[in-house]
Amino acid sequence: MGQTSEVTEELRAAFKDSMIEVKAPRERRIFMRIKKVAFQETVKRLINDFGFRHLSTITGVDLGDQVEVIYHFAREGAIELSVGVALPKNTLSISTVSGLMPAASVYEREVHEFLGVSFEGNPNLSPLVLPEGWPKNVYPLRKERTFEELRQIGATK
Amino acid sequence: MGYGSTVKVPFGPQHPALKEPENFLFEVDGDIVVNVTPRIGYVHRGIEKALELRSYIQDLYLAERICGICSHAHTTCYTQGIEELLGVEAPPRAKYIRTIIAELERLHSHSLWVGVAAHEVGFDTLFMYTWRDREAVMELLEAISGNRVHYAMNTIGGVRRDISAEKTDKIRSSLDFFEKRVQEYLHVIRTEESFLKRTAGVGLLKKQEALDFCAVGPTLRASGVKNDVRADDPYAAYGEIPFEVIVDDECDVLGRTVVRCKEMLESINIVRYALDKMPEGSTRVRVPMAVPPGEAVSRVEAPRGELIHYAKSNGTTKPERYKVRSPTLANIPALCKTLVGAHLADIPIILAGIDPCFSCMDRMVFVDVAKDRNWVWTMQQLKRNTSR
Amino acid sequence: MNVFNWARAKSPWLLHFNTGGCNGCDIELVAALTPKFDVERFGIRLQGSPRHADILAVTGPVTLQIRDRLVRVYEQMPEPKKVIAVGTCALSGSPFKDCYNVLGGIDTVLPVDAYVPGCPPKPEAIIDGIAGMIQRRRKSELHGSDK
Repeated sequence: MGQTSEVTEELRAAFKDSMIEVKAPRERRIFMRIKKVAFQETVKRLINDFGFRHLSTITGVDLGDQVEVIYHFAREGAIELSVGVALPKNTLSISTVSGLMPAASVYEREVHEFLGVSFEGNPNLSPLVLPEGWPKNVYPLRKERTFEELRQIGATK
Repeated sequence: MGYGSTVKVPFGPQHPALKEPENFLFEVDGDIVVNVTPRIGYVHRGIEKALELRSYIQDLYLAERICGICSHAHTTCYTQGIEELLGVEAPPRAKYIRTIIAELERLHSHSLWVGVAAHEVGFDTLFMYTWRDREAVMELLEAISGNRVHYAMNTIGGVRRDISAEKTDKIRSSLDFFEKRVQEYLHVIRTEESFLKRTAGVGLLKKQEALDFCAVGPTLRASGVKNDVRADDPYAAYGEIPFEVIVDDECDVLGRTVVRCKEMLESINIVRYALDKMPEGSTRVRVPMAVPPGEAVSRVEAPRGELIHYAKSNGTTKPERYKVRSPTLANIPALCKTLVGAHLADIPIILAGIDPCFSCMDRMVFVDVAKDRNWVWTMQQLKRNTSR
Repeated sequence: MNVFNWARAKSPWLLHFNTGGCNGCDIELVAALTPKFDVERFGIRLQGSPRHADILAVTGPVTLQIRDRLVRVYEQMPEPKKVIAVGTCALSGSPFKDCYNVLGGIDTVLPVDAYVPGCPPKPEAIIDGIAGMIQRRRKSELHGSDK
C-alpha cells in the first residue's frame, strides 16, 4: 500500500484548496472528490504533473438533486484514481477534457446521452448509442426514469 | 457503384437502428479516408439500467451476458468489485481457478480472432484451422464448467466449481496440442505472403498516438506500450504467477496478430503454472445478500484489453449504480486515428484489428469531399469494389 | 417431390441474423461451419443475402432498433421460407427481460418454425434443430402439403 499512500498524501497536499475529500480504500485505488470550480486546473495537473495519462472511462451517477461525473484515470496502468465532481441538476454542465485527452470525447458523449450532462467545448455530443429519434431530455440513467416508461418510449417509435 | 446514397459502417456486435444508422461516417478523397466520425450503434440493450433493478446475484448472470466471447472477464470484474464492497476476499484456490478460466478464455477468444482476421483477408484455410483447433479449448471449458460459452464459474465470494485432478491431466494434454498449433499459426502469419500483404504496414498506430488516445489491450501493446492490467494492477492469482507482457514495435495489424499469438503461448504457460501451484482449500466464502454502502473500481485484462467496472452500493440487495466500459469502446478513438489515411480496401482488416466484439459489419457511409458526393456500400460491396 | 422442393430439402441456404445478442449464439452457429461439426456436409450453407436464403437463423433478443430491419430481411426472403430461433434470447428474450431496449423473443415479430434453446445452444443442438426442421418439411412434402 506504500506507493498508493504516498500518492494519496501528495494529492491531498497539492489540491487542498479544490479538494473535498480523498481516500484510498485499498492499494492502487484512490477516490477524490473536488469542487467544480477547480476542475479544469486539477485535471491538467493530474495529467501533466502526476502522470495520470490514461483515461479509463467517465461515469455519470444520478445522486438525486445532483449528477456526479467521475473521471477514472490510471497511472502507468497501475494506480486507478477516480475523480468525482458533483454538478447541480439545474446547471448540469462542465467543461470538456477532450482537448487534454482526445479519448474523453467518446465517454463524454455517453454520459451526456444517458444523464444529460453538457460538456462545454466538446464539438460532438451527438448520441453515441441511443437510436435516432430517441426523445431529447429523456435520459435513461436518471433515477426518475422507470423501466416501464423507457420501454414505452422505445415501443412507440 | 451507386452514387447518391449513403453508406454507413456498423461496427462491432451491433445492428442498424430503425432509421439509417451511422456507425462510422467516412469522409474520403478518392481511395483514401480523410476523416472518420464514430457513432456507435452497437446493440444497446439497457443493461446498466437493468443492473439497478436486480439483486447482486441476479446481476452476475446479466453481467456475464454482456458479451459471449469474454463473459468470464465480465464476471471476474463484477465479482471482484462486489467482493471489495463486501470486504471479503475469494479464497486462494478460487483465485487460481479464476485465473485458469480467464486464460482459457483468452485462448478461445484470440484463436477465434485469428480465424476471423484470416477470413477478412480472404485466407479461409487459416480460419478453418484455427476454429478446428480452438475446439480443444472449448472442450476443456465444457469439461470444467459444463458449458462451452457462459461458463458461470464465478460467484460472489469465489467460484462455483472446482477443478478435479483428472481434469487437470486433460487440461495439460489439450494445452500441449494447442501450443503446437499456435506455434504453427505464428509461423504462418509471419511467412504467408497473402496474409503479410494485407496486414504489414496497415492500420499504423504510433506509440505516442496509442498513448494519447488511451488505447488498450493487444492494440496498445502492438504499438510498443508495455501495459497489461494483469501485470500492472494484479488481480486474482496474477500477482503470484510470473509471465511476460507481450509487446511488438510494428504498430500495424500484423503486429496485433503477432501479439495475440504470442499471448496465447503465454496464456498456456500461465495455466500450466497455475495448475502446478494451485493451493488447496475451499473455493468460495459465503456472503450476505445486502452490500454495505460504498464504491469500488474493478479492472481486468479481458482478451480485448482493459475492462473496467464501477460499482456503487447503497446498503440494499441491489446496486445503486453499475457502470461497465468494455475494451472495444476504449479502442474506438485510436481506431479512428488509424483509419485516417487508410485505403478503403483496408477498412475491414483495420476494423477487425482491434478485435471488436464479433463484428457483424454491415453498411458503410462514404462522403467524397473532393467530388462532393456520397454513397452507401455494404461490407461485401466494399470488398468487391476495392479488391486488389 | 419436384426438383425445387428436393433442392430446398437437400441443400438449404441459411441466412444468419443477430438481433442484439451477446454473440454467444453467433459464435456457436459459426462454429457449426467449421471442421469439427461441418454443417456443409448436410448441404447447409451460410448465405449473405436474404434473396438467396431458405432459412433465417435468428439469434439475440430483438432490440427496439433492430425490429424493423428484421422484418424487412424476412420480407426480402422468397417463399417458402422458415425461421429458426437460436438461443434463449431468441426464444423469449428472458436474459434481458428488464432491459428497456429489448422487445423479447423472435416470435413477437416473426412466425417461428423451430426453437433451439440454450445459452448458447451447442453447435450440435443448432444442427439438430435445423435438421429436424428440414426433416419435417421432407415428411410433409412426401404427404403432398408444402408446409
